[in-house]
Parts: sequence; C-alpha cells; structure tokens
Amino acid sequence: MSNTIEIKVPDIGDFSNIPVIEVLVSEGDKIDAEAGLVTLESDKATMEVPSPAAGVIRELKLQLDDTVSEGDVVAILEVSGESDEAEEASSSGDGDSVEAVPQSPPQKAAEPVAEESEPPAPSADIEQESPPPAERLSGTAAVDPARVPYASPAIRKFARELGVDLGRVKGSGNKGRIVREDVSAFVKSVMSGAVETGSSSIGGLRLNFPKLPDFDFSRYGGTEKQPLTKIQKISAAHLHRNWIGIPHVTQNDEADITDMEAFRQANAAEAVEQGFKLTPLVFLIKALVAALKKYPTFNSSLDSDGESLILKKYFNVGIAVDTPDGLVVPVLRECERKGIMELAAELGEISARARDKKLTPQDIQGGCISISSLGGIGGTSFTPIINAPEVAILGVSRSKMSPVWDGNEFRPRLMLPLSLSYDHRVIDGAEAARFCRYVASRLEDLRRLTL
Amino acid sequence: MSDVDFDVVVLGAGPGGYTAAFRAADLGLRVGLVERYPALGGVCLNVGCIPSKALLHTANIIEEAAAMEQHGVSFGQPAVDIDKLRGFKESVVGKLTGGLAGMAKQRKVEVIQGSGSFAGPDELVVKTEGGERKLSFAHAIIAVGSESLELGRMPWGDPRLMDSTGALELEEIPQRLLVIGGGIIGLEMACVYRALGSDITLCELTPTLMPGTDPDLVKPLQRRIGKQYKNIHLETAVVQIDVADDALVAHFEGKHNGKEKFDRVLVAVGRTPNGGKINAAAAGVEVTARGFIPTDKQMRTNVPHIFAIGDVVGQPMLAHKATHEGKVAAEVCAGEKSAFEARVIPSVAYTDPEIAWVGVTESEAKESGQEYGVGRFPLAASGRALGIDRTEGFTKLLFDQATKRIIGAGITGPNAGDLIAECALAIEMGAEAEDIGLTIHPHPTLSESVAMAAEVFEGTVTDLYIPRKK
Repeated sequence: MSNTIEIKVPDIGDFSNIPVIEVLVSEGDKIDAEAGLVTLESDKATMEVPSPAAGVIRELKLQLDDTVSEGDVVAILEVSGESDEAEEASSSGDGDSVEAVPQSPPQKAAEPVAEESEPPAPSADIEQESPPPAERLSGTAAVDPARVPYASPAIRKFARELGVDLGRVKGSGNKGRIVREDVSAFVKSVMSGAVETGSSSIGGLRLNFPKLPDFDFSRYGGTEKQPLTKIQKISAAHLHRNWIGIPHVTQNDEADITDMEAFRQANAAEAVEQGFKLTPLVFLIKALVAALKKYPTFNSSLDSDGESLILKKYFNVGIAVDTPDGLVVPVLRECERKGIMELAAELGEISARARDKKLTPQDIQGGCISISSLGGIGGTSFTPIINAPEVAILGVSRSKMSPVWDGNEFRPRLMLPLSLSYDHRVIDGAEAARFCRYVASRLEDLRRLTL
Repeated sequence: MSDVDFDVVVLGAGPGGYTAAFRAADLGLRVGLVERYPALGGVCLNVGCIPSKALLHTANIIEEAAAMEQHGVSFGQPAVDIDKLRGFKESVVGKLTGGLAGMAKQRKVEVIQGSGSFAGPDELVVKTEGGERKLSFAHAIIAVGSESLELGRMPWGDPRLMDSTGALELEEIPQRLLVIGGGIIGLEMACVYRALGSDITLCELTPTLMPGTDPDLVKPLQRRIGKQYKNIHLETAVVQIDVADDALVAHFEGKHNGKEKFDRVLVAVGRTPNGGKINAAAAGVEVTARGFIPTDKQMRTNVPHIFAIGDVVGQPMLAHKATHEGKVAAEVCAGEKSAFEARVIPSVAYTDPEIAWVGVTESEAKESGQEYGVGRFPLAASGRALGIDRTEGFTKLLFDQATKRIIGAGITGPNAGDLIAECALAIEMGAEAEDIGLTIHPHPTLSESVAMAAEVFEGTVTDLYIPRKK
C-alpha cells in the first residue's frame, strides 16, 4: 500500500480565511520536499505552503481564489520513501478523507455579539431587546451543510443564549464540528477584543456616526470603480480604529543633520560595494533605539484591561513601506544589537520583499515603535497615525538647508523635520518633547549614540 | 406588572396552547388559558391525532388478523360493536384531556372557558357562559389553530356529509363511503372505515395522492389501497352532491366523470387557520388574507408582546411543531432568549403502510440543484419485514454529497412514524452516513433499515448486492 499523506495549511499566524493567490503544482506532479505548493496572501504578507516530503501530488484540494485557514487540506501527496516527518503531517492516515468546506468569511456584522450583560426583564417594550430574528429556514436551506453551522441543537441553543452567531465560530471538532468549548472560546476572544464585533464600540465608547448618504457621482461626470486591495482594506480598518480610539498628540521638532549627512555620504560607497544603500533612515533607527532605552514608556503598550503598562525589553522598529498595493510595516528586529551597516542591508532586503509582496506574517509582527519617512518626497511636517498596540510613531519629512543662528551668525545647516505622534494616555507632553530632543541630539552628533 | 390580570394569556388550549401555558407557569408567570370547548387539548386530543390513532390501531389489528388467514391462522369475520369501539376511543380522549385539566390546576393555570377575542393591544374579551369577561395581559400567545376546510355548495346540513371531526364520531359504518381529498387525513380515515367494512371510493383533485410527498414513498400505499378500495379517482373533482333519501349522489368531473350514490361522504380537503376569528386587528396584530398570523423566530407577531404559535402560524399544521413553538413563546415571555431553531419537522401519515419523512425530500433536493446522494434499503431485504409479511416499503436516506451529512429521510412501511425519529435526530446532529451505519442497530428490527440505507450510500452494505458503478 502506498503511503499518502494530507498536506495541511500550517500555522499562518492569527489569520483565517485567507485566499490562495497562486497554485504552483498540478495533480501528478513529482515534487521535492520543501517545494512550494500554493501561495497564500495573508494580512499584508504572502507565504508559500511547502511540501513536507518528496513525492507525487495525487490530488489537489485547493483552487485559485479558495480561502483557507490553518489545518485545511492543500493536497494529497503520495510519499516516495518513508519519513517520520511525513507520518506527522498525516492526521488520520486516511488518504481520502474529505475536509469540511471552508466556512465562508463572516462578512456581515448584523448581530452585535455579547453586547447584553443581563437578560431583559419581560416587559411590553421588549422590541428593544434584540434585532428581529431572521426568518425561519425551511426545506433545503435548513439542512444544507454549506449554509447552516455544523452544530447540534444543544450547541445552537447555547450559542443563542450567549448571542453568538455560529457562522463566525470555527469548529474544533471532527471535520469542523462546533462544540461547546468553541462557543465559549469565541465569547472569550470577543470579550478580550481579539475578535472584531462589528459594532463601532472602542474602549467602551459607543460611537454612532450618521451614515454618509450614497452619492451618485456619475451625475457630475465620468467615473470608474476601482476595488480596494486587500492591504488597503485591512489598513483602512486599523487606521480608522487607531485614529478614533487613541488620543493622538503630534510633537514637531528639527534635527541638524549636517554632520550626519557628511558622515553618511562618506560611507555610502562602502555600502554600495556590499550591495545595499546607506540611507538616513538607518541612523534614525539607531537614534530611536537610544531614545527608547532612555524613555522606556515609549517602548510599551497599554494592557488590554487599561490598568497597567507592558514595558518591552526588546527593540524592534517598524518601517512603513509604500507599495503599489498599499501601506505595509515590516519590522526590523533586535535593532539595539545591530550595527549601522547590518541594519542598512536588512532594511534594503525587507523593503524589497515588501514591494514584491513576499513578507511573511512574522515579518510584520512584534514592532515596538514605527517610523514613517516621507523625506524622499517632501513636506515640512505631518501627523502620522500610531500603529497600535505601539504607543508612538516618528514621522520624518524632507530635510532642508536652512539659515540657523548659532549665536553669532546665520549658518547654512541641513535641518530634518521630525513629527512624533504619541498616545497621550501613556505619554505626557513634556516627556514627548524630551524624547524628540533626545532623538534629534543623537542625530546631530552621532558620537552620542555610543554614550 | 401587577396592574394586569395575567403575565401571559394563552388563547386556545390545543397542544401548542396548553404547552405554552404550562411552560410559562413553570417559569413563574401568572397564566390564563382561554378555551372555547369544555375539554382542553384542542383538535389533536379531541378530534384529531389521538382518537384517529385509537381507531387506526383497531383497523390495523383487523387487517393483520385477516392477513393471518394466508399463514394458516383464521379468526373468521370480525364482529364490530361500534358503540363499544366508540366508547374506547372516547375513554382514551377522556383520560388525556382529564389529565390536562389536572395538570393545569396543579400549575395554577387559570382556565377560562369561552370564546376569546382581542379588545385592544393589552386586553382580551372572553364570552363565557356567565357573560363577558375582560382579561388584561402583559403578553398574549395566540394558539387558535385551524379547522377543516369546507367545500362550498355542499349540503352541509345533512349529517351524512362529514368532515374529519364527524368521521371520528363513528356514528355508523356506511356501506359505501366517498372520501374527498387524498391527503393524510382522508387516507387515514379511509383506512379506518375500510377495515371496519366500508367500500371506499377516494377522489383527489391532483394527479397524486399526498401531494408534496416523494412519489416513490406513496407508491407502495397506492398499490395496496388500489387493490383494497373500490375506486381511486385522481385528477377528479366532486362538483356537486345531491341529497336523496337513501343516499348522497356525488357528481364527478375531470378524469373520471359521472354520478354515483354513497351512504356517507367525508370531505378532507385541507385545513384553514383561525387567525381571522379573534379580532386581531383590535390589538394591531397582522393577519394574512388566508387567516395566518406571521411571526419571527421567537414566535412574535408584528406586535412584540403578542405571540402566535401552531397551525395559525403556518404549515406544516402539526401538533409536534406547535408544542415546540409553544415552549419558545412561553420562554421568550419569561425573558429567555429562546427561538424556534429546529431544522426539520417530521411528517407522518398513519396509513397502512405508514409513510414518514423528514428534512429535504428528494423532489426538493432535485429542484434545489444541491449535490445529493441516496441510500435506499428495500424492506424486501429485511428479515423482520419478511417475518411480518410486509415487504412493500423501503427506507431512503438523502445525503449531501460533499460532506456525506444526512439532509433528509423518507420511510414507507410498518412503524415508519416511529423509525423516522432517529432520522430527525441524525439530521439535527449533523450525522454523516458513517455515523448512522456504524451505530449498531438491533437485529432483527425494522430500525436496521435505517443503518442499512446509510450503508447502501456508503457502499458498505452486505445484505444487498449492489454492482459497483465502475
């Protein structure tokens, strides 16, 4: 008997229902271990699902544009030559078991989840209690597995009592059956904010914006509809939440980088020889890390209960990168340990991957603070939006040769505008001003970075 | 809430109504139950499910005793004492309705006998023997049910023209009985009277008996009664009935034409909801032109504190649907987050053979375009069915092809109505074909046919030989 295994979607971070954007193999293909099978596009990143073993693709279980989650079967592989690894990858040893159809992503946000804390008393104005329940399903619609949640009557009742829409719950039972624990876990994740409830409630605020009326723009001239990219849609939600939910203050300052520029240019050729560019951004990263060490509250996050600060002992800096599909923020790790040249090389490499849509979910996680640099384009100042759960972001505008009074005379100095947006719940204005000065002073005299 | 007479008033004491009232009382609410007849229980207990099943049991015994003759055991012609039989039927009804009255008392549900109608959004007027009584309520549950549909231009004053209620009264055993309507009720009553000795003529307007049921499920019944009954006229209407001294003369039109004399005629052409009879407009409750009252999943009408359940809410008009709805309405009245969320409601025709189905019918599955598979197990392959000499039926299960989960079932044969319960549970639980096939069913029983049908779908059955497709 030939040994077939199911290749499943591995741990892809906290994402589910992500689309397959590329299928790299066909049924019957002979492949090597680690060969890519399909490419998935997750939150701001793409990843290939590799084959755990060499062999022949017997059956491909995914198509282009399918959406998948961790554990979904990608393909059935007939393994050539036994390997322990292959055994592990097979969950049941049953080569032709059929996985449940991936549940369609929960698009609607109709029923607010877990909003009510206590059952309403019986009263005549009971209509306020809940939105009118949907029509009763009958006939085929009531039992079609593609349309109804895979849950028994008792679990459906349990979910209803908790106000949980079972369409949004992922089942952990055999073939995705929803069990009681799944419903409880879903409620916990909603309560802890891990799942978006679809209501405009931020930090307990119930914001009820009037709906913008629908406009018919074509009445005034020609129009064209362009769908937002996945990245744009995801960023939009994050940016909106952060802008509304965090009290932002932006502190503007300037750094005299005349000497830094001279130093950078003196060493630029050496970088080019090694295959990367030495940009001013790298110096900013080092200066920022120095400032984070001096002012640890800038390297923190608010605990989810709002009762305490979580101070981080690591120094990872996110860099906003403009790509044709939208804004992404890859993270440079352990910046405190790396030298200028090493950081420059890494920055070049990760920016290139961001533009090629080759970032992995890990590449965009774990940042402590972010830098948004528009220095290459122009501007004198702007308000960057904090990349929560971070508490500050440094915006950089275009440097400009300016007359600076040194006490005796005006001297031409290259001045770099810095715009630091910070979370005023965590950071005071005076502290922010000091932080900005500290960053500027490191840039003005790079020797201070060694202090 | 102390300024109203009741937390909940339930209008109608059928299976839905008394269940709602009892559940509400058990949840601590003050409940009034309004019923126009002296006995609780509604159509189901008094003039429906219960008395008809008592009579159908009798009919089955008569048929089985007669069938024994072929196996070498003769009982001779049955001697039917119709008064005694009627007495038994009435004692069954009496036990159940008496039990209900006792339970209402124990729960402190106040039963108000009289016809109730709305006087406003918070008030009901009941015409009792002692005069009008006004009841104010915080919540009302409308459970007024349905009644037999009367055909127009018929001599309804003649006692020989009956609806199902009249037929169950069992006044006499007519020599020649015409049953108008080939639905469940008509077929069940035809079964009873045929066993008691009547010659049956059955007349149905549509091309099939039990319209809406999968034709293959009906076929074994049709074949059997085709031999037993005098005539079965399909696609035929009775357009007129003349009253003569010695008979009722029915005029047929359609596929069959002509006149024929009958001693009695039973009209069983459907039931119509009673929503239009309770002055619902006074409470602002919406009633459709046909008399149904639309509700949401929590059984609320368009007026949020007034609920409706049972036949008056819509099809199927079945007691077991009404009781579930009654519980939901009572629980919502008590502030619980209940809703009617059953996916399927089983249906049973207590004919001989019985026909039962639940979930998606094969006709529906075909029409919907859903990819489905069928597992069918004929009773001819069941040792038990052979032993009782009833092999004409079969068990059929429908599965979603992709997930192999059961989506529907149909059974024709003895005890089909009991066997279908397992299928309903399987559908609600999302069971796969293997779940059913791998569950050990006792041998030799008819229930094995359910497991076997699942195995037929899986291709693992050994009690049949099914050539492989490839």
